[in-house]
Amino acid sequence: MNRNYLLIISLLSVGFSACNTPDPVPSQPYDNGVLVINAGNFLDNNGSISLVQRTSTTASYDIFQKENSRTLSGSLSGYAEVNEKGIILVDNSTAGKDGIEIVDARTFKSLTSIPSTEVENPRAVAKATDTKAYVTCWDATGDFSNFYKNPGYVAVLDLTANKLTKKIPVQNGAESILVIGNEAFVGNTGSGMTKITVIDIATDAVKQSIEIGRNPDLVGLDVNNKLWLYAGGEMVRLNTQTKTVETRFKITSPNASKSPSSFTLSADKKTIYFTNSFYDAADGYLQKGETYSFSIDAAAVVADKPFINRLFSGGLGVDPQTGVIYAGLVPSFKQAGYVLRYQPNGTLIDSVKAEIAPSTFFFKK
Amino acid sequence: MVLMAIAPHLYAQKEQSLCEVTVRGVRPERFMVGQKVQEIDSVQLTRFRYSTLADFLQFQSPVAFKSYGAGQATSIAFRGTSANHTAVLWNGVNINSPSLGQSDFSTIPVAGFDQMSVQYGSAASCVGTDAVGGSIQLRSVPDFRQKGLQTLAAFRLESSENYTGQVGLRFNQNAGKNWTISGKTLLYGSIFNNYFGSEPQRTRQGESYSFEPTRTTQKGAVQDLYWQHQKGNLFSLNLWLTDNTLTIQPHQVPLREVTRTQAYRVLGSYQIGKTLIRTGFIRDVIDYGKGENLTPSHTEIDRFILRTEHDFSWIQSCDKGTNLKIGAELVHYNARVDGYGDEVKRENRADFYALLRHQFNGKLSASLNLRQAFVTRFSPPFTPSLGVEYTAFTRPLTKISLSGNTSLSYRVPTLNERYWVNLGNPELRPERGFNKEIGVTWKQRLAEMNQFSVSITAFHNLIDDWTYWNPERNYRVENLQQVLSKGLEFTFGLKTQWHKTQLDANLNYGMTDASQQKTYGPYTQDFIGKQLIYVPRHTFGGTLTATHGKASLTVQQQFNSERYSTFDHSGRPFAPYYLLNAVLNYQFQKRNFRSDVALQGNNLTNTVYPNLKKNAMPLRTLSLNVIFYFQSKQSTNES
Repeated sequence: MNRNYLLIISLLSVGFSACNTPDPVPSQPYDNGVLVINAGNFLDNNGSISLVQRTSTTASYDIFQKENSRTLSGSLSGYAEVNEKGIILVDNSTAGKDGIEIVDARTFKSLTSIPSTEVENPRAVAKATDTKAYVTCWDATGDFSNFYKNPGYVAVLDLTANKLTKKIPVQNGAESILVIGNEAFVGNTGSGMTKITVIDIATDAVKQSIEIGRNPDLVGLDVNNKLWLYAGGEMVRLNTQTKTVETRFKITSPNASKSPSSFTLSADKKTIYFTNSFYDAADGYLQKGETYSFSIDAAAVVADKPFINRLFSGGLGVDPQTGVIYAGLVPSFKQAGYVLRYQPNGTLIDSVKAEIAPSTFFFKK
Repeated sequence: MVLMAIAPHLYAQKEQSLCEVTVRGVRPERFMVGQKVQEIDSVQLTRFRYSTLADFLQFQSPVAFKSYGAGQATSIAFRGTSANHTAVLWNGVNINSPSLGQSDFSTIPVAGFDQMSVQYGSAASCVGTDAVGGSIQLRSVPDFRQKGLQTLAAFRLESSENYTGQVGLRFNQNAGKNWTISGKTLLYGSIFNNYFGSEPQRTRQGESYSFEPTRTTQKGAVQDLYWQHQKGNLFSLNLWLTDNTLTIQPHQVPLREVTRTQAYRVLGSYQIGKTLIRTGFIRDVIDYGKGENLTPSHTEIDRFILRTEHDFSWIQSCDKGTNLKIGAELVHYNARVDGYGDEVKRENRADFYALLRHQFNGKLSASLNLRQAFVTRFSPPFTPSLGVEYTAFTRPLTKISLSGNTSLSYRVPTLNERYWVNLGNPELRPERGFNKEIGVTWKQRLAEMNQFSVSITAFHNLIDDWTYWNPERNYRVENLQQVLSKGLEFTFGLKTQWHKTQLDANLNYGMTDASQQKTYGPYTQDFIGKQLIYVPRHTFGGTLTATHGKASLTVQQQFNSERYSTFDHSGRPFAPYYLLNAVLNYQFQKRNFRSDVALQGNNLTNTVYPNLKKNAMPLRTLSLNVIFYFQSKQSTNES
């Protein structure tokens, strides 16, 4: 393990223990660490959640199964916590069998299962208030000629009653969601829609939609409280107050066939990381690519100098406590993947064996 | 093979003396010297005529099944090989779907054919492509024994809301002075709802699985006609139409997923002396669609088949002689598949084969079989096989025989693997297998009507250039893997009589060790030596039947040890499970009228076990099965 990393960790833990008052509640097994959301393999319906401690290179596997003696029967598409409740989005390969599991976030014991009849293709979840979460859903999909055939919706999850209370219709292919102040911003994937939807959290109603570009993917809020998106091949910076696009620029690459994905903001919210990949026709369509970064002050991005000379198809995450980058490596969907950890400067720290297709990360305290 | 198996006594042809089998052609099983071939009891085929081949076969043989659910895609894997490594032959013609290279055993009803044998190990030299792990032979057989007309009506009601009905007739009559005409017509239909409520069920290990709402409807028609000249020449026409529709979420139209699989199969054959000429047409159709507006993706593949064979024989005595079969088969393929682009893909395949069997004396026989296939834009390998059988010990009541076989096998990649837009790879090499096996069989007669047999087979099959849809290359297909499958099979058969009760038992056990031998990427070291996914190390199956007068009781059981679903064995494997079925049958007979009434219980231990999608498989069910027969003339020979 790298010395700088140890230094950061020890400083942080000192900092935390110094200002923490003793916790009156006894500590629970899932209070600390990083949850790895393993998507699983689609028809195998074997998504799972592993827990990795920040200082350990081994993981606890399938913690939901461990605590509840049953597996999450589907792929996993998202996880969020609201007021010590964990919300797990489960996408079964059979339409009509998806669901939302609500667990005690500290013990991972199941509190309730939202019946599959109420959500179809849940994609992402965000905390709206201390008692409410928003879940984006595609609704039922069609065949390949018209996959996103239905308008998407945002399901409102009341975490006092542990029930869905409302479905807010939004654009087809509803996917990424970000809550900023009293508003939730909803992006989409695949359907070709070009506007994001803004929802008023107080009324659970759509306020407006904003033209961004094809398939807008929400990246996050930077240090200046500006919302970054990736849409139509461009990075877009949005002023969330005025709802106007302030800037947009292309990510160019010496190899024009590369396409960027997995955008993630650094802990200080000044840098954006992303992967850039392609299937190399000259080499039997082998997937190749690297991980890049750029500053939020950039006026253009040329992806020619990799930040990490490696591609991660499982997605990226950044630990807000340490700035450490978590990268999901998916060798195939029929074997365990790995989580590789990098320092904020791109130096490899270590790797941890996870489960099938480590895709997103949830950083606990 | 219809033509070669016309008489009932040819049923166990592999064991017969040379004198009995030289009337016409010889079935290919006869050339599978040293290989394990299991004939399925025709009584069992009749009793389970309502079953799909998937439900039936798992209790009969130590093969592994991969099922996506009751009434859903179910494939078979012999001896640790994959679903693509089983040749399914109907009257000698490979009926695997050309696009997928396998058969969905849930779409094949047991009622669709008259005889079945299961062959283990490579048999490419005898039957061609796909027979890397084993082959299944389904045959239609004329019945020239009983004159007149026999009609049949049957139904089955199962508590899980599964319903089956069948009507049919068989006839046999003289047509002029020199000809006899015989035939069979069967129409069948089923609806399988497999309804077990909506509550999840817990296994004994505490895992919870829920049911997937599905409906499978199945209908089909069989038409066989045979004209036999008194000199033995035979015309035959075999027609089999199948139509299977699987609907997932049938009650919620926006969520439903519909897969319709149809097959049209027609064969016309003429056996003149020892020469066979056969033509055939097979159309395989698959339509898949979702939701309200079904605009399904469409797969339609036609095959035009021409085959000719001639049998030579040099028989010196019933114990000494030589059989040689030479043959050629030409097949033209027309594939209209959405996934292959707009262009119709056409290709021709030709197979040339020579099967030689020599019996040195009453104890020793050997075979040498050769096959060379040719495929447009593709080159399958030359596949020989060599087998020997030796009776090491004979006493009036005891016979111990040894057998050995070594063979090469191949699989022509599926049309999907070669023609799928962007992902298919026309440059693929054929998969190649090298199979070796030895066996010993002990047959013991204890008394009149009292005998048992035990056989043990050891096998070793190395399969190279195993194809893999490689995720690192966006799922382009490549020849990447090498698999070694080895193991032991043990079968026990008993026929005995106790007071007036006839007891029949067939037990089988298989131990399979199948593992990856070579790495094929940076993260594959971990797979080497690990049991392949979905291959149970231990399987056990058994059928026991007790018959007393007109009543009989059949008990079926099956056990599978745990199965992994990941190459590196990470995650939780599927738990071992055990299934138990029983059928109580009673036969009523009054003059020309006969009826079989049966009460059948499936999964009597109410075992909860999952399918590949991690949904619960059927729980305990009870069913009533009734067959009515009416014979226009009194039978001369009970069928």
